[in-house]
Parts: sequence; structure tokens; C-alpha cells
Amino acid sequence: MSSPSTAPAKARKKRDWFLIFGATFLAFILLTAIFGPAIRSAQLNNGAKSFNSVTTGVGQPYEAISAKYLLGTDELGRDMFARLAQGARFSLTVGVVVETISIVVGVLVGVIGAYAPKYVSTPLMRFTDAMFAFPDILLAILIIGIIGPGFTPVIVALSITAWPSIARLVLTQTATLKDREYVIAAKAVGASTLYQVTRHILPQLVGILLAVGIVDMAGTILAESTLSFLGIGIQAPNPSWGSMINNFRSDMNSHPGALIPGCAVLSLTIFSLNFVGDGLRSYFDPKSS
Amino acid sequence: MKLLRAIFIRLLFGAVSLLFISLVTFGANELAPGDAALIFAGEKASVAQIARIRHNMGLDRPWPVRYVSYLENAVQGDFGRSYYGVQEPVSNIIKRTLPMTAKLASLAVILSSAIGITFGTLAAVFQKRIADRTILTASTLLITLPNFVLAPLLVYLYCLHFNYLPQTWSEPLQAPEWMYLVLPVAILASRPTALVTRLTRTSMIDTLQMEFIRTAVAKGVPRGRLIFKHALRNAILPVITAIGTSFGFLLTGSFVVERFFILPGIGSATIEAIQQSNMPVVQACILVTGAMFIVLNLVVDILLPILDPRIRESQV
Repeated sequence: MSSPSTAPAKARKKRDWFLIFGATFLAFILLTAIFGPAIRSAQLNNGAKSFNSVTTGVGQPYEAISAKYLLGTDELGRDMFARLAQGARFSLTVGVVVETISIVVGVLVGVIGAYAPKYVSTPLMRFTDAMFAFPDILLAILIIGIIGPGFTPVIVALSITAWPSIARLVLTQTATLKDREYVIAAKAVGASTLYQVTRHILPQLVGILLAVGIVDMAGTILAESTLSFLGIGIQAPNPSWGSMINNFRSDMNSHPGALIPGCAVLSLTIFSLNFVGDGLRSYFDPKSS
Repeated sequence: MKLLRAIFIRLLFGAVSLLFISLVTFGANELAPGDAALIFAGEKASVAQIARIRHNMGLDRPWPVRYVSYLENAVQGDFGRSYYGVQEPVSNIIKRTLPMTAKLASLAVILSSAIGITFGTLAAVFQKRIADRTILTASTLLITLPNFVLAPLLVYLYCLHFNYLPQTWSEPLQAPEWMYLVLPVAILASRPTALVTRLTRTSMIDTLQMEFIRTAVAKGVPRGRLIFKHALRNAILPVITAIGTSFGFLLTGSFVVERFFILPGIGSATIEAIQQSNMPVVQACILVTGAMFIVLNLVVDILLPILDPRIRESQV
């Protein structure tokens, strides 16, 4: 048994390593997503002026890893690296946009829930609870059933399913913070509710919202991949990690290796977002761990 | 009396949730472009013909009236007709596909509860030792690993490399049915198993530190009896709630697993219907799976106050 004082320190050190690994991997994915497709297009350009390495195949189907094709080619001879990079672009965009929307909506609903009179806040929070209890995947599938599959529908569907958990978090946090002495003091000297919320309450929530937003982003990216895997997310010829995994599934008997890059990148991104989110959370909210 | 009241409140919540989900699915059909009259009239129908069909189907009535008749029909198992193909009643599609999904989900729940509770207890008893560390690491991995990453891995191992199991469902079946279900159920159960394991572990560790356990140890209760009879029975309650909520993960998982293994379940039916924008089928599939989710959670919610007198006392 280690003494109680060193055990948490040891755990913290381990967590820091995970945090560093996660942050490094995410930075790598982000850079690849931004510059990858264009660089690959320029490198693979067969003399064509406007060549798109993501949607145009120049190689044989399922070429092995080589100096020319860094991660091999897919079923139509397209460069795997370029397609994964473009997939990262879609996934990260969906993740960031959906989390931004759900944090904005969640903060609004949560603060209104904490400050508004009962006849406003009770129905609002009951509605939030109902949305929270509704299984996410069913709601997302239903919304896509209404507006049809695609990149924007995925963002709409996932935003509508993601905000209730943020709203509930903001509600409980705001409800405790608004009874703290310094907020009551501000109120006593005549600060308006808007001033109290924007100057005294929301700044306290920035850290935890950032951490929760990053962990939730892992869920959002996973949901986007799931929808694309099911064939109702991002549509061909645009690549998504999920739809790439689904495409390679049908050729699994002859080319099982083609599945490895997509699966690895997706899993590592999910792991990294969780590591970074958890790390930030224990930094901003030491009591939580 | 208190027990009855607690059950009544939960039944009321369940009924409200069911109404909510029916309203949402009804609204989805309202918002979707086109309606049944347009589809059934065919492409060459004139505007007047479409209007007549719409009137005959009662689609020109105001929406609250149609919502009530939608509810009445749904309760009687009538979900309208599929837009395409032979336009068979949607209830037939549900009857054909639901058993497969129900089978997958219930096997996964049984498997994940059995394994999760066993390993969770083991981890708690051997706290901070190798067994515990291994179980914790494995369960953390399983929670974050997506189903459609785990699936190719297992299929490669068991279907392609060792060739033990058939790969995808194709009728007529070439092997006994259970061989087709081994991998789907295992993949479906992976995440709930990990969650149940972790929860059992935490709950058991808390319980093992309680005073009545110390008393039992002092009294000389044998170790096996102490763990299974005294501690586990107290630690199991939060685990039961978690098993209830894990049905939500099973829903997501069954969509993925059914697609991966081409199983004829309700998830496959839903996805196919969305790709054809076959709204009545989408609506009915979501309504039925959502209602199942609510009812199962309701059963768990009602079980809790029956099993635990403390909950009965605190929530009246």
C-alpha cells in the first residue's frame, strides 16, 4: 500500500501522460484535416489542373502501402490518406459545430431554468428532461428520416440530441452558484440579473463547459460515424470514417487490412478526446476525480 | 400503501413518456415532405384525384384529430401501409423484424449482467490488485471502443482467421442459428458489460466498507456468504438501474450490429426505410423501439422500490 499522499500524485502523473498523448494526437489530426487533402492532391496530381485526391482515384483498387500511397488505396483506387484526412475534416467540423450549438442552447436553457419564474422554468426543464430521456440514436434517425441524409442534416440531428445534457449541467451549477455569497452581495448592491449571470456565474462555468464539451465531442463524432456507417450520414462520394468502415466491410474477405487505418484513427480520436476532456475536467474541477 | 403510490407515480411518468414519443413520431410524419395520399395516388394522378384520396384517407382533417386516430390505430397495432413495394401493412414488417432485435437485445442484457456483476464483484474483492487492475483497464477500453471497430476485429479473428463462425446472415442458414448470433450478441453486450462491471465494482467497494459488513466479519460469517449474501445484495441496486438505462446503448448497438452482420432486425428495417424515405415504416419502427425502451425502464423503475425498502420510504 502506498501512502495516501503519493497515490493521488501518481495517478495525476499518469493522467498527465494521457493528456499529453491525447493533445498531441488531436493536434496531428487537426493539422492533417486542414492541410492533408490539398497536399495529397498536389502530390498525386497526374498533370490534371484541378485534381481532387479525395474523390478521384488514380491507382488500382486496394493497393498496398507504398511511398506513393502512404496508407494504400480504397475500393476505387483513391488515396486512403487523403480520404481519411477529409473524413477527419467532416468529423471534426461536425464535432465542433454541434458542441458549440449545444453549449449555447444549453447555457441559455439552463440559466433561464435557474432564474425564470416557475411557470416558465418548470415546463422548460420538464421538456429538457423528456428530450434527455429520449434515446439519442432514435431521435437522430427520426430527424434524418424527415430531412434526408447528408452533412447538414447530421449536424442538425446531433445538435438537437446533444443540448439537453448541457442544459441540465448548467441548471444545477447555476442553481448552486446563484446562492453563493459573492453573487448575493452583487445582487444586494443592485446588479441586474444579466450582470450577475454574465459577470459572476458564467465565468465560473467556462472551464467545466470546455471539459464537458470535449468529452461530449467524442460522443458526437462517434454518433456521426455511426450514422455514416449506417448509410444515413455523410453521403458518397464524400468520405466519412464511418462510411469508409462500412465500405470495406463488404470486401473484408479479400482485403481485411483496408479496415485498419479507419478503425485506428477513429478509435484513437475518441480515446484522445476522452483523455483531454477528463484531464481538463480534473484541472478545472479537482473535486470530480 | 407507500409502495403503491411510488409505483403509481412511475406508471404516470411512463404514460407521459409514451405520449411524448408518439407525439414526436406523429410530428415527424407531419414535417416530412409528401403524404400517403400523394404516394398511393401514383405519379399520374391528377390534383383532384389526390384530393379525393386524401379525403377518403381522412388526411384532410385537422392534425389533433389525426393524432388521436393515429394513437388509436397504433394501440391496436395498425401503423398504416408501407409506401413502396407491395405496400404491405407496416405491422407485418414489425412482426417480421422485431423478434430478431428482441432476441439480440435480451441475450445481450443477460450476458452483460452475468459477466458484469461477476467481474465487478471480483474486482471489488481483490481491490487494487492485479485482477482488479486488469478488469478496470479492460472495461475502460470496451467503453470507448466503438462497436463498428470491435466488430471487424472479432469477425476477422473468428470468421476469417480461425473460420469458427459464419460471417453474415444469409437465408437459408448454413449453420445452426446460434452460431450466427454469437458475435452480434458479444459485440452488443460489450459496452453494457463494461458499464455494469465498473458500477458493480464501485458499489461493492462502498458496501464492503459499511458497518454491517464489519459486524458480519466480527461475527465470523464465512467469506463467500459475506460477499454474496450480505454485500452483493445491497450493492446490486444501482446496478439494476444501470442495466435499465443500458437498453439505450443496446438500441444504438443493434442498429450497428444488424447492419454489420446483415441481420433481418428492426434496425435494418428502419435504415432501409429511411433510405427510401418510407415514412410510415420509419415512424412505426421508432415508435415501437422507443416504447420498448420506455417500458423496460419502467419495469426497472418499478422493481427498485419493491426490492429496496429505503427507496420506497424516500420517494413518496
